[in-house]
Amino acid sequence: MVPREKLVADMEKMFGQGKVLKSELERYTYTYDSSFASQSNEYYPDVVVCLNSTAEVSQLMKYAWENEVPVTPRGAGSGQTGGSVAINGGIVLDLSGWKDIVEVDDANMQVVVRPGIIHAELNQELAKYGLFFPPDPGSSVFCTIGGMVSNNASGLRAVKYGATFQYVLGLEVVLPNGEIIRTGGLKSKALKSVSGLDLTRLYCGSEGTLGVITEIRLKLLPKPQSRGIMLALFEKLEDSALTVLDVFKAGIIPSGIEILDDGGIRCANMFKPDLNIPEVEAAIFFEINGTKPAVEEEGRQVLAIAQKRAKSVEWATDAERMAKLWQGRAVIGAASARLVPGKTRIFAGEDVCFPISRVPEALRRIKELSKQFNIPVVIYGHIGDGNMHTAPIMDPLIEDEVERTHKLAEAIHNLALELNGSTTGEHGVGFARAPYMEAEHGKALDVMWAIKKAIDPKGIMNPGKIWALGRE
Amino acid sequence: MQATYRIDFTEELKKCVKCGTCRSHCPLFVEIKGEPGSPRGRLALIKRLHEGKIKPSQELANIVYTCLLCKKCAVECPSGVISDEIIIAARDYLNGAMSQPLIKKALLKGFLTRPSLLYACMSLTALYQKTGMHSLLTKSKLIELLPEKINACAKIMPDVTKKPARSRIPAVTLPKGEKKFKVAYFIGCATNFIYPEVPVAGVKVLSHNGCEVVAVEGVKCCGMPHMAYGETETASELAKHNMEILLKDDYDAIICDCASCSSTFKEAYIHLFQEGTKEYEMAQKLQAKTYDISRFLISKTGIKAGDKTVEPDQKIKVTYHDPCHLKRGQNVFKEPRELLKSIPGIEFAEMKDADRCCGSAGSFSIMHHDLSMKVLDKKIANALKVNPEYVATSCPTCTMQLSYGLRKAGSGAKVVHPVQILAETYM
Ligand SMILES: Cc1cc2nc3c(=O)[nH]c(=O)nc-3n(C[C@H](O)[C@H](O)[C@H](O)COP(=O)(O)OP(=O)(O)OC[C@H]3O[C@@H](n4cnc5c(N)ncnc54)[C@H](O)[C@@H]3O)c2cc1C
Repeated sequence: MVPREKLVADMEKMFGQGKVLKSELERYTYTYDSSFASQSNEYYPDVVVCLNSTAEVSQLMKYAWENEVPVTPRGAGSGQTGGSVAINGGIVLDLSGWKDIVEVDDANMQVVVRPGIIHAELNQELAKYGLFFPPDPGSSVFCTIGGMVSNNASGLRAVKYGATFQYVLGLEVVLPNGEIIRTGGLKSKALKSVSGLDLTRLYCGSEGTLGVITEIRLKLLPKPQSRGIMLALFEKLEDSALTVLDVFKAGIIPSGIEILDDGGIRCANMFKPDLNIPEVEAAIFFEINGTKPAVEEEGRQVLAIAQKRAKSVEWATDAERMAKLWQGRAVIGAASARLVPGKTRIFAGEDVCFPISRVPEALRRIKELSKQFNIPVVIYGHIGDGNMHTAPIMDPLIEDEVERTHKLAEAIHNLALELNGSTTGEHGVGFARAPYMEAEHGKALDVMWAIKKAIDPKGIMNPGKIWALGRE
Repeated sequence: MQATYRIDFTEELKKCVKCGTCRSHCPLFVEIKGEPGSPRGRLALIKRLHEGKIKPSQELANIVYTCLLCKKCAVECPSGVISDEIIIAARDYLNGAMSQPLIKKALLKGFLTRPSLLYACMSLTALYQKTGMHSLLTKSKLIELLPEKINACAKIMPDVTKKPARSRIPAVTLPKGEKKFKVAYFIGCATNFIYPEVPVAGVKVLSHNGCEVVAVEGVKCCGMPHMAYGETETASELAKHNMEILLKDDYDAIICDCASCSSTFKEAYIHLFQEGTKEYEMAQKLQAKTYDISRFLISKTGIKAGDKTVEPDQKIKVTYHDPCHLKRGQNVFKEPRELLKSIPGIEFAEMKDADRCCGSAGSFSIMHHDLSMKVLDKKIANALKVNPEYVATSCPTCTMQLSYGLRKAGSGAKVVHPVQILAETYM
């Protein structure tokens, strides 16, 4: 491994001082993302480089390859698994400043972007063309498309539109040895292709372990003409889950189905007091989009179904009210920090996904675990696809609470596996969830490792993610 | 870590979950490379300082001082982190822990606490400008050779009027017509010396809307620049002095035409004193009594514009820039617009991102000139898109900055305080 001073000097020589961050203070700001795992450790990179061209990234990777220096790509650092943190030192490659939209090809319903563009900014631009990129993470306002592809993110509208991979048509990738490839066809503008092994799919969710994504070609959809939001309140948590199943049984797929439990409702009210949601056990937000008559008709049907179990139901099509309701849900991830004064929320065990038929049981079990470890938990998330976010509310300065929270997170992960679910529905593995991979995948993990070794035999791309450090 | 600016560092810093929301709201972050330029990065380092894991250093101070205190990240933070106040308190702490560049210290401690010295300084600058030295330097490009900061200062500083507002406004102005309120008018340093037309107009407008206006004498700088530079002890002294004077008589309200002064009275003084002390009580009282002039006019007196049309036979297009300390500091943003719209002959046009910081932030535009100009350029581009004759705003440093930006862009649009246009309608 190159000594730090030399590494810094080499980077400055290659890219100029303006693109290199090297002091202890600067590097410290790269020791975290939003995960508790990263914030409980101090993994310093040796140097941070902020680049914005494929040629530079390729040059960087050639250097790293020759000198066997680990490289950790980073977008906005909003990930919840420590994925963008250099747990084995080396270089953090900050791509968040590379924000170009290379081409909006509206005739072909696609867009080509650089990895640092922010999700909300992209959709703002696409709205001018009547188009949109459907996956809609709660972090839309700040996460990058590069990060979304690498984590295969999804979010509030996954129930209808699915995850990022369904929209990625092709990628430009700088391989660990610095070579540049294009997946999905060298010149393809096609919306479909089954030509060869699907490398594009392989890179979606690869978490920076197989190379650096430097350009992304995304499939777009026409922006729906109309939408409506229904807020249904339930006295009993389990009734909310049963209602969701009833809606599916009626043959309706809303564009979003989101849940807030009692704690979540309180937090949403604290952040946006004019939301003023009555305090019940669960609130479900249904979003329905499409043509105006379809929205009205489906809205009417969902209303009738929800009314069977709900205490009250509100149907909003007024833009301002809808924006407020949806925002109340979208920000809950961070706003749950407000629940108990003097405490905060942390991101650990936060992304479990259950089979939808077992969601009621899962919700009950999570509440029990919260009692067992004596750590309050706010539950919110994408109940439409069984993806629950659990927010432990604790004080990171009290050691015993930290310990109990770690145990709670572990128990929640294990619960997901026990109920035939997954430890992560959308946030990914990083190093925070690497320990569960063996239990979740068995021998399949070895095959994943074989692929990793084939593409990155020197193991320089984001080591310690997906597969724990030390696997050889 | 303890600072004179009272916040509970441990509790406030704990709230940050490091989600990264603030990265997308900070007007500076987009112009700076990397995480240290983000609010999240600054807070992470302040937390480390608070935990004793790093020591005060020039590098840390640079990072902590690279913030406009525009409050955008704070109001957008889902977790309720009061980042701007944490930054003020951290600057306060750093200021005590290490020595600051001499010039800045002298400027803040010497001039702004002593009105006579400040006046002398402003007058000197005025003299320097009036004698033609300024234009000579500018034209001959000699100015480019001056040290960077003085250069920046000279470019942005407008002509300083010789006669400050305090000597133009009578101690008491009686209401025209029936008296509804007796108010104290706080004339801040910048409007007093640089834009004296603003308080003159403010007093006129208030008197035409039923107020007896007392232009309180003997007050000093509100203390905002001191707090922004971590000179909180000086700010506390100024606060005590001002509160004594402003609360001596029982005014119905204390009116400010400067967003920074009013927000200092309304939000900041309370942090300078311990709960239970006499000063804390006074700060609470001042907080309740202070009004931005547009809020007072809209919510208390109601506005009756005069009979004179501002520009006969033609509509004048006006847009409004929200000062950070008014919009996010005091939630005042409807009032200045309503005030403008109440003026006959005015066509109001909203600009995009009207509440985005202009990059001025007191002396930030001088201390971080290049960065400030990048923020300003975005603002000016948005303002010019609506093609206004006037850009109205309620803060003198915003006025200075916007005027400079418009000049630089070759626009003839003028920057004014909303009350200046309203005042034109009275005989
Ligand atoms: C409040 C909050 C709400 C969230 N809500 C959701 C949600 O609803 N749905 C969801 O899916 N996620 C959500 N997330 C998680 C996170 O925002 C997403 O995973 C997001 O896609 C990460 O993007 P980023 O730019 O922050 O990436 P980072 O965190 O910087 O990086 C994520 C991973 O991608 C890799 N990477 C980044 N860029 C590249 C590149 N160009 N090439 C190769 N590898 C790269 C990194 O190495 C890392 O492994 C949320 C996070 C927060 C804090």
